[in-house]
This record gives sequence, structure tokens and C-alpha cells, in this order.
Amino acid sequence: MQMNGRPRLPAILLGVLLAAGPARTGAAAVAPAHILVSAAASLTDAVTTIAHEYERTTGTRVSLNFGPSSGLARQIVNGAPVDLFLSADEAQMDYVARAHLVRPGTRVDLLSNQLVVVMPDAEARPLKSLRDLLGPGFKRIAVGDPAAVPVGVYTRKYLTSLGLWSRIQPKIVPTLDVRAALAAVDGGNVDAAFVYRTDAAIARHSRMVYAVPLDQGPRIVYPLALIAGAPDAAAATRFYTYLRGPQARAVFERYGFLAAGHVR
Amino acid sequence: MSAEIWQITWFTLIVALGATIVMLPPGIALAWLLARRRFPGKTLLDTVTSLPLVMPPVATGLILLYLFSRLGPIGSLLALGGVGIVFTWKAVVLAMATMGFPLLVRTARTGFEQVQVRYEQMAATLGAGPWRVFFTVTLPLAARTVLAGALLAFSRAIGEFGATIMVAGSIPGRTRTLALAIFSETEIGHNRQAALLLGVSVVIAFVAVAISNALIHRRPDEAAG
Amino acid sequence: MALAITLDFTLRQGGFLLEIRERIETDALALVGPSGAGKTSVLETVAGLRRPESGEIRLGDRVLFSSARGIDLPPRERAVGYVPQDALLFPHMDVRRNILYGARHGGALPLDRVLAMLEIAPLIDRRIARLSGGERQRVALARALMASPSLLLLDEPLSALDPSLRWRIVPYLQRIRDELRMPMICASHDPAFVRAVASVALQLDHGRVVGFGAPALLDMAP
Repeated sequence: MQMNGRPRLPAILLGVLLAAGPARTGAAAVAPAHILVSAAASLTDAVTTIAHEYERTTGTRVSLNFGPSSGLARQIVNGAPVDLFLSADEAQMDYVARAHLVRPGTRVDLLSNQLVVVMPDAEARPLKSLRDLLGPGFKRIAVGDPAAVPVGVYTRKYLTSLGLWSRIQPKIVPTLDVRAALAAVDGGNVDAAFVYRTDAAIARHSRMVYAVPLDQGPRIVYPLALIAGAPDAAAATRFYTYLRGPQARAVFERYGFLAAGHVR
Repeated sequence: MSAEIWQITWFTLIVALGATIVMLPPGIALAWLLARRRFPGKTLLDTVTSLPLVMPPVATGLILLYLFSRLGPIGSLLALGGVGIVFTWKAVVLAMATMGFPLLVRTARTGFEQVQVRYEQMAATLGAGPWRVFFTVTLPLAARTVLAGALLAFSRAIGEFGATIMVAGSIPGRTRTLALAIFSETEIGHNRQAALLLGVSVVIAFVAVAISNALIHRRPDEAAG
Repeated sequence: MALAITLDFTLRQGGFLLEIRERIETDALALVGPSGAGKTSVLETVAGLRRPESGEIRLGDRVLFSSARGIDLPPRERAVGYVPQDALLFPHMDVRRNILYGARHGGALPLDRVLAMLEIAPLIDRRIARLSGGERQRVALARALMASPSLLLLDEPLSALDPSLRWRIVPYLQRIRDELRMPMICASHDPAFVRAVASVALQLDHGRVVGFGAPALLDMAP
């Protein structure tokens, strides 16, 4: 059964530990810069790779906090000392913005993705359409909580637009985030899962059986923003710029993320 | 209180009760064994039984998930018989029973240890076989403590979260217990709903502790004669 | 009724060693000796609650224990009624349930007769906690009798009783011995009691038999 490689502690706990540490008192001349980045779970591997490379080349310590964007946004609004937020949908970034915690002018749409369905290897076969999920062979379908987790919200809205949601909803197993849904299908504990294409690419014991066409499916956007009130604004800004730069873009592409377009 | 909160409360109470009932026969048997018998591997058995008490609940949940998932050693056997545990109410019972079991065993064991062996010996001289001695003398004399242990396990089951979310998930209407609901509602920012659920949990916990205390305080006329 | 009792065994318990090799035929045997002499140990061994290192215990032609033959009957099969010093009534049962605990269908003694003989009929529905010391004693006796034993063992029957009431137990024991014809072994350090109840006495000291014979003839200075 595949589990995510990186443990995801609640950011509050992490924040408490960091806040207690000496590195964040602003004595930049003595200790290396240290920033905290909250990013959607689907970005786990890509952002980890980018952060490690950044640490290696600049010496800045980058602490990473992955989870469902809804949970991450809530943590920020409740005071978690986060420097950057990379969300998997606009709604969660809007939530942070309404709390006046987005540094003005820094919100950009960074990435996009594609919604897909995966099944365990043993049972996998290509789906003709999402209507196949209505069949008896699909008793349990995992997806990040459709109430708030971006991948779940995208799935719910898309299936609603197809008129399938009310019949698929009873089969839904809501998970904490997209990687938990992937773990559920990878472990053979559900019959299928809705994840992003980038997650399907790293699945170990399951595979993609259907990809929602980009022109028909939900418009998936990953906004990035600097959070207001960060202790070391300069260090945070440097990493923000790096994330938008060519080295980071190459990594994102390698993991299968699509580019998004424009600055708000 | 909305219908949903009633459903969650009712579901939690029923499943916790079911888990407690499931735990009782093996728990009582094991408690008695540990109290009365010496045998090779006793310390090991005692230690393993106590593990869920000491390990982080999510770790215990992870072990359960490994064992009972469709690809796991026990889960695959059950799947042959058409039985699935993970992500169903059965997994909730499993998680609750696993977490409450050590509490039941430890408490019941103390209860049995407090029953004077002489009473059991007297029953034997009167012609009672071991099973009759257990059910007519040992268990009744330990009943209060055993019940307190069951109540403790029940209370633990009601509050169980870490193992439950690992192996049962938080599926509304199917596996979402009070504890899981509080977490889920908080996660998506439904603070008022979470507060209501919290209130229900406090009431249940209060009642459970009150009953447990009443059981533990002996009444004067029950002193052994 | 006289019973042939064979007590031929060695019992070791921690640092305590008890050795006894006697064969006695009697209807009422007393074990006398100071406290710690081993009287209770003998009773518990006969009842099957302690296991001797080696030896043999027989009642009549029934072998309860034989190390040579690999026989060791568990207490429930020995048909030996045991009345310990503190009566040991089951606290969670009332008098009736205590008395009937060991009774089987087709048991030898009718309940009414036992209740009448021990004068405890009015107590039958009482809770154990509400009994006096003497009443407990008699209820424990009744309980042992209703299990149809072939032998009664009594450990210091006087000690749990008020000094002024002590002797009240004697007529009851005499009735059990004579009317029910129930053989018994009584452990006691009270010479007068032993003379009133027993036909033969075995004197123990520090785990050894130091005297044997009719109670009147033994020097049983307490």
C-alpha cells in the first residue's frame, strides 16, 4: 500500500515549533533565512524537488506543509505563520484574500492540472465515459472531501454538470486530500478514485482509466500568493520569484503539471 | 439539533456499544487468564494487548489498515468470502474495539485479581466445575470492576479518532462518528456544526464518567463476609 | 458412622514441612495443636486445595490422592465438605443460594431437615452481611452438608464466635455426627471442645504428629 513519503503535520503544530525556534527572530545575519510554504497535496513531489534544489543553491531553509488546500487556508486564516500559499483552487485563495492575508499584487495563477479517474491495477480497464461509474462494479469511489477539498469540489461540480452527481454521491468515500484518495485506491480499498493526472502518474498499484477532457472538464487553477505579515518578506519574495521562474517550471512540467496563464 | 447530528450521535453510540459487546468475551477471557494463570509467553501477550493503549492511535490504525485492506493478510481472506471491512461501519467497530480492548482487559484483570481465590476454592469443594465457578462466583464478584472496564472501553470507543479515520474514513452517513464529524466539519470551516457536535460529545462523556464513578465506589453492604 | 481415614503424606510449603502417617477409623477425628502446627494444612490437603509432595489420602475405599498411582482428585470430585474458620459464605448470594450451591437433584439430605437441625430456617432469605458470627457458621455447615459430602472438615469452629456463644455450636455438631451419621475432622486448640465432639484426637506440633488417642487421655494444654 502506498503512503505519501512526506508526513503532513498540522501546520499549527509546525508553526508553534518554528515560532519557538531562534531562526525566525529576524537575525538574518546569524542564521540562514527560513520560510514556510503551504502547498496543495497534489504538489507534494514537485514542490519538494523544487524546494530542495532551492535550498541547495541559496542556503535558505524552506519548510513545506502539504495538505488539502481547504485545511491549509483555514490554518493561514487562523494565524499559522505561512510565507507562501500555493492552492489547488481559487476558492481557497479567495478565502485567504477575504481575510486580508494576501500580500497585494502577489496573487498569480501558476499551474493547471487535469482531472482523471484511477483504478487498482488488478481491476483496471479503460472507461468509455464517467457513466461507467454508475455500474455495480463501482461500490466505493474515493475523492478529496467534495465539500471543500479542491479536487473534490472540481469533481462534484463536473459530475453535477453531467447530471451524474446525485447517483455517484452515495458511492463517494471522502478523504482528507487528493493523496489520501490515491492511497485508498492504491491499497485496493476502493474501486476507483478521482485524482489529478499528476497524481495518477506516480501511482504504484493503480492506473489511470479515464481523463476528463481539458476542454470539457473543470477549469483547474493553482493560484500562488505571498502571505501578508511574513517575518522575512525578502526571503519569501525570492522563493516566490523562483517558483515562477524557468527552473521551477521545468520541474512542474516534468511532473505533468500544465501551465496556467495570467496575473490577476 | 439537526437530523444529521442525531444520526451521527446515534450511529456513534450504537457502534461503540457494538464494539464493547464484541470485546467482552475475549476481553474477559484474557483478563481472567492474565489474572489467574501462569504460562509461557504471558508477558508477551500482556505487552501486545497493551500496545494500542500506548501507541499513537493512527499507528494502530495503520496496522489495522494493513491487515484488513483487500490486499492484506486478513482482508484478502475475508474478501474471498465476500466480506469487506475497510471504509465500512465494520471498520469503525474494529477500530473502536481494538482501541478499547486494552482498557477492558487491564481493568477486568484487576477485578479478577481482587476476587479471593478462596471463594473459588470453596465453590470447587462444593462440587462446581471450573466454568460454573467462573460464572457463579468469580465473574459476579468481579462484576462491578469488569463493568467499569467495559464502560471505560465504551467511552474510549466513543472518542476514538486516529485509528478510525485510517481504517474507516469519515464517510457521511456510513462511518462518520462524532469524533470524525468534529474533525471533518472543522476542516471545512463549519465551525457552528463542529461546536454542536462538540457539545454532544461533552454530554456523553459526562454521563459515562458519572456512571463509572458510581460503579467504582463500593456500597458498604457489599463488603465481603 | 465410622470412616477409615488414611492420611499418609508429606506436604511442603515454602519453609514449612508437614509429615503425617496415620490410619484412623472413627466418626469424629480432632486435630489438635498450637496455631501453626499444621492443622489447617491437613484439612486443606484432604479437601484438595493443597497438593502433597508424595503420599496417599484415602477415605474408606476411595482414593483421593496417590502419588504412586498418579491419582489427584480435584476438589469438586472429592465429596469433602469444608467449613473454614471464617465460614467463607459467598457475599453476592443470600443464605438460600449459599446453602443450595452444592446441592444436586437427588441429594441425600432434604433441605428442611438440615435447616431444622441447625435452626436456621428463619434466615433463609437473609443477606449474608446481616448474619451474626454464629449464624454464618451454621449456614456454612448447612451449605457443606447439602453438597452431600462423605466427610466434613471443620477448621476451628469456635474461633469466629463470641466467647459467650461459643459452646452453642457443640450440640449442632453432635447432631450432625450422631443423627446424620456424618464423619468429621475438626481442627481445634480447645481441649474441652475436642472432648465434647471427637472420639479420637491427633496431636500436631511443627508439622509432626506428637500424640494420638482418645481426647481425654491426651495432654492438650493449649
